Amino acid sequence: MKEIVIISGKGGTGKTSITASFAVLGGKNVVVADCDVDAADMHLLMQPDFAQSEDFYSGELAVIDQDKCTQCGECADVCRYGAIPVIDGQYIVDALSCEGCGYCARICPTEAITNVELMVGKWYVSTIKTGGIMVHAKLGVGADNSGKLVAKVKNEAKQIASDTNKDYIIVDGSPGIGCPVVSSISGANFVVLVTEPSVSGLHDLKRVYQLVKKFKIKAGCIINKSDINKEVSKEIEKFLEKEDIVHISSLPYDETFTEAMTEGKTIVEYKNNELNKSLAESWEKVQLIVK
Amino acid sequence: MKIAFTTKGIYWDSVMDSRFGRTEYILVYDDEKKELTNFDNRSISNEAHGAGPRTAQKLFELHPDILITGNGPGGNAATVINQADIKVFIGAREMSVKDAYEKYKNNELEGF
Repeated sequence: MKEIVIISGKGGTGKTSITASFAVLGGKNVVVADCDVDAADMHLLMQPDFAQSEDFYSGELAVIDQDKCTQCGECADVCRYGAIPVIDGQYIVDALSCEGCGYCARICPTEAITNVELMVGKWYVSTIKTGGIMVHAKLGVGADNSGKLVAKVKNEAKQIASDTNKDYIIVDGSPGIGCPVVSSISGANFVVLVTEPSVSGLHDLKRVYQLVKKFKIKAGCIINKSDINKEVSKEIEKFLEKEDIVHISSLPYDETFTEAMTEGKTIVEYKNNELNKSLAESWEKVQLIVK
Repeated sequence: MKIAFTTKGIYWDSVMDSRFGRTEYILVYDDEKKELTNFDNRSISNEAHGAGPRTAQKLFELHPDILITGNGPGGNAATVINQADIKVFIGAREMSVKDAYEKYKNNELEGF
């Protein structure tokens, strides 16, 4: 079983479209893990059935028992987040402002405050339109993605892949270079970097590659929209050569990306064109590399 | 000499955990005493953020001479481990602890 993680550093490079295409090309032999849970959108292309779901808890929230509260106001005084306003004569915890630090619960003279675990979202195991399995998550308003949730989604995908003898796990990685991305690439066999030839595209590629390099994971790169700026494209190619990153493919700018998305399809299902062929070749290449 | 492993269980034939920060267990083998001890790291792996540095801190306390893991620690955790003078070997993934130890002894694991 091989774990392939697709990341981009910069948003809008086509990472999810490419990941979804790989998922379709891989078909039933693939377990998909959507770790881009802040703005998860892969489900729009994969049509999961949300068959199994489980609550996800992360962090804590202070709760005041109004029967025990004597309205002394000490909790509101010590709260650094201004999360305990008085509403209709009662001290109420504002769930969005509370960081769950527990200071109020500690100093409350009548022990009216307790910290409860915070339900921040749900994670799912679904069958998708390819007949394959996808593990994904949805976060509630104000909740942020974490290394913990990414690890959860990935571990679940790994377990399923190993139980059902699948050859690949395809992970749609988290954006940026922080904790969730570290968690996305940790344990991976191969990282696919999706970039575009813009100044910020190259900048973020370098940044996120530093992280991949630290983990000593082999990487390859797909330069999407490679013809919109040939100069920067060349610069990216030079960077790949210098860092010994496999140049998987360069894809042209193609409105098929958006057209397919609008119809809820992946590129490889949408139209039989050059782009479609390039993506199929890219997936072949990735499979050969991780073998 | 003490050798630490990131693992998914507490026995020699348990599977290695390729993650560092969110590893389920840390096993420590003392090859002089021939003794295998374990630390349950699951409370740390349940942290929302910063699991790497916290596991590194734990490792600092366990103070092995060698760490054998899958991918190696991330930036913050690596800084802590470097201070502790622990030699890290990576590439021990999808194999048992026993196999990882054999591979280490045969110099088949990559240094970090």
